[in-house]
Amino acid sequence: MSEAHLSMGAHSAPPMEARPFVMPSKKFAMWLFIMSDVMTFAACVAAYSFVRNATPQWPRPFHSMTNVAVMTLIMLTSSLTMLMALVAAKAEDKPRAIRWMLFTAAGGVVFTLLHIRDWMGMMNQGVSLSHNPWGPAAFGAAFYSITGFSLLHISVGTLALIVVAIRYKGGRYTADDVELFNLFWQFIGLVWLFIVPPVYLMNVAR
Amino acid sequence: MTTAEGMKKYLAVYVALLIITAVQFVIGYQNIEGSQLIVRFLTFAVIETILVIFFFMNLGSETPGFIKFFIYFMVFVLATMNYIWTDSFRLLVFRLTGYMPT
Repeated sequence: MSEAHLSMGAHSAPPMEARPFVMPSKKFAMWLFIMSDVMTFAACVAAYSFVRNATPQWPRPFHSMTNVAVMTLIMLTSSLTMLMALVAAKAEDKPRAIRWMLFTAAGGVVFTLLHIRDWMGMMNQGVSLSHNPWGPAAFGAAFYSITGFSLLHISVGTLALIVVAIRYKGGRYTADDVELFNLFWQFIGLVWLFIVPPVYLMNVAR
Repeated sequence: MTTAEGMKKYLAVYVALLIITAVQFVIGYQNIEGSQLIVRFLTFAVIETILVIFFFMNLGSETPGFIKFFIYFMVFVLATMNYIWTDSFRLLVFRLTGYMPT
């Protein structure tokens, strides 16, 4: 083997595959998390739809959609305020970004309270996991599990957003971290838009 | 794109989402047959998903390789979830007619 060949072998990097997903590793991890969470929510919606379709005389207990409409409006608006926080963070306007993050967190708190109000209304009507006044016992379990899973995401997400805002204010987090959280918040907003039609709108009392 | 242009785009998508959701609520109160209701809601949900993923989550700014990976993977998973429907109809029909296989 020639000296030139040995020299090349010692210094050249091993051939590597081109990187198809060029993005920061934290962002890639968040996308993967969202994809896995899509599967979980899709399984919940599919299971709910399966039970609803397979059960004759499925109850239609929702007389008023006002509470759900307000919740949806708040969720959509908080998606917009989160984007405003991201735009401000990218423009390095820290006070404005924090303000919009706190607006978003307030939206999350109000949504959670309205959701709990919705649940209390159902409980007052006698809907539990194994019983309801309208017949098919599966209704309560299906309703509470799918809406509860969404509520868990939004309430925990709200707490996480407050932590992100505090750490961003303190300088431990950057605009990139705000962008990561924006991905999660938009995702849970989108999930709510998928839950409302099968759970509420298809069960309006007629 | 400037910050103002970005915000205009986000506001336009937000208004579009509000309108689509409002239409969904109106449809929910109509006396429409179940399967038709599902088709309409699913169509609107798909439009909302495209708007949120490409504008609010900025998927469009990622590499073409990642966009393809995300879309193919998600479409496959969500499509295969629909494998359950035949069995739910089986349960419904058997229960209504009282027919049981021997």
